[in-house]
Amino acid sequence: MKIYHCEDSLEGIFTAIYNTYEDHSPVRDTMVTTIEENLLFSESVEVVPDPEKTIKVIRTLKRRFGESDYETLCLALASPKPEKAQAVYRTIAKGLTEKCAAGHLMDALADTYVNQTFGLARAAGNEYHHLKGFVRFEELENTILYSKIAPKNNILTFLMVHFADRFPMEDFLLFDAGRYLFGVHPAGRPWYTLQGKDAWERVQSKTEKMSTAELHYRELFRSFCHTIAIKERESRELQRNMLPLRFQEYMVEFR
Amino acid sequence: MQKLEILTDAARFDVACTSSGVERKGDGKHMGNCAKAGICHSFSSDGRCISLLKILMTNECIFDCKYCLNRKSNDVPRATFTPEEICTLTMEFYRRNYIEGLFLSSGIVQDPTFTMELLYRTIWLLRNHYHFNGYVHVKAIPGADPELVQRMGYLADRMSVNLELPTAEGLRTLAPNKHRKNILTPMRQIQNGIHANKEELILYRKSPHFVSGGQSTQMIIGATPETDYQILNVAESLYQKFELKRVFYSAFVKVNEDKSLPALPGGPPLLREHRLYQADWLLRFYGFRAEELLDERRPYFNVMLDPKEDWAVRHLECFPVEINRSPYGDLLRVPGIGVKSARRILAARRSTKLTFQDLKKLGVVLKRAVYFITCSGRMMYRTKLEEDYIVRNLTDPKDRIRFGSDGMSYRQMTLFDDGMFPNGVRQEEVLPAAVGEL
Repeated sequence: MKIYHCEDSLEGIFTAIYNTYEDHSPVRDTMVTTIEENLLFSESVEVVPDPEKTIKVIRTLKRRFGESDYETLCLALASPKPEKAQAVYRTIAKGLTEKCAAGHLMDALADTYVNQTFGLARAAGNEYHHLKGFVRFEELENTILYSKIAPKNNILTFLMVHFADRFPMEDFLLFDAGRYLFGVHPAGRPWYTLQGKDAWERVQSKTEKMSTAELHYRELFRSFCHTIAIKERESRELQRNMLPLRFQEYMVEFR
Repeated sequence: MQKLEILTDAARFDVACTSSGVERKGDGKHMGNCAKAGICHSFSSDGRCISLLKILMTNECIFDCKYCLNRKSNDVPRATFTPEEICTLTMEFYRRNYIEGLFLSSGIVQDPTFTMELLYRTIWLLRNHYHFNGYVHVKAIPGADPELVQRMGYLADRMSVNLELPTAEGLRTLAPNKHRKNILTPMRQIQNGIHANKEELILYRKSPHFVSGGQSTQMIIGATPETDYQILNVAESLYQKFELKRVFYSAFVKVNEDKSLPALPGGPPLLREHRLYQADWLLRFYGFRAEELLDERRPYFNVMLDPKEDWAVRHLECFPVEINRSPYGDLLRVPGIGVKSARRILAARRSTKLTFQDLKKLGVVLKRAVYFITCSGRMMYRTKLEEDYIVRNLTDPKDRIRFGSDGMSYRQMTLFDDGMFPNGVRQEEVLPAAVGEL
């Protein structure tokens, strides 16, 4: 058994997958992981993330499986669960060996790894879809929009794509509090991400003061949410099912 | 602030509050895009989604519909928004990602055409002056000038005309100022507009879209004595003849005291509304017809079983369905198999022979499906294909076949499962077991 140990990122995992193919490592006897795995009689290989290899893998995946399946794989890799690397590796290997047609990678749901990948991608995709709606921006003193979120999956980049399309002429800042990850979108220009505690320290002090109109609109929205409910149909349980408490923490109408 | 409260309160019974059906990318300069699936931004305390800023332009009304909060004879605070107020509010809410767009309706001031003009002016301002590119849903006011409805169609993503009550008779008794014909005319007009626009778009790709999200309507359930069968038939003909995107059902909530309204001691008829929505889905996505689900002899839905289970137990001659061979249409008729899982079954069975274990992974609800399916010719358990037996198992949770923690066993696992100790406990194991050293 050969274990490829890589860092927990898209780049790391794709490089590891590239290396398994470069080494002609037999699929059944290969494992890709982002955590320490010590198995008896196994050989461990450290993987250094390589942008060139990553791009090659991405190109192959897009060509062989199509855009939508590629996106599914990326969503699966956004999951916080450690089994994602192996699941995605085996899914890709299965798709490549069986010459699966574009758009049909996820068809073989009876396969354990494909199923696992599918499950991870669905969970991440659901959270992404939820957050498209549940993100709440607040206007800071300097008219920058700022929002803090804490998603389970690493989906900030997906959200940035969505909001950059929606607000092309706004300066906005999306902050993933669990990962110290910032998405920065300057008006009219492409967005980028920043990661790390020092980035957080620099930005933190500037996000405290809100603009004067902010409180007014918050109050308006709160009263809107309150009035729109029909008292005769009240069901807190249904509300919680649709909008889990972990999201409510960051939403103005529940604060 | 107070204005918003009054006009939100007045709009809260409008149910057609979805933001789906339109996929529109941002234009790179102005605010807004639309997502096909629709996005819910929040959920109110009744569990309904808040996705659009749902308000009335004004709650002044010259009509006197018995069921309505804003009727002429009610003494409620009245307010009116100016078009600019609505636009700023929409833009500011949208910027903060509170909402997905605007849902604008109105009470009738002066006459329908005047009201429609007010709505048109607002939406025009929002689209052309504020350059709002997000989702807009507007009510078409029955009786308004067709020209205005037509022009509104080019600005809005979705339009709707409220049917209010399922039958013309109900409308006559509860909404004396509204007429069935007046309601259906703009509906037909919008339908024709959408058709004409489709052909236009084929010829000229850049021509403006007309109501690209389709049109919808809503009916109040339980205010008049119609049966479920009648309501479902109305919905079906709306889908077929008017090509509506959605019909919404709204359980009647009594806001006015009036002798012609029914008393509802048990609260609004929520279960009835729920069953109608279930049946509505069966009509639109599962290939059912209204007369298959209900008929004149049984005009109401079963309270215990959902409409699909109900149909299945009455048509046992169609079952069991073989998972590995049956066509899509037959799979869809099995309770516990939905559109998604049926599609997954089709995709997955191409490469492998599916077992019950696999079905669980594909998202089939086995506790409902198990009575109606076979995998490679075998049923999962020895179940009888018998109406009474299945109904009993589907309805009473205690009698249902139990699923163990591995999801597959017939018996529920217990803490003291003696099957786990085939040889019994030996004397020398007793003490270590007690102190947890075994």
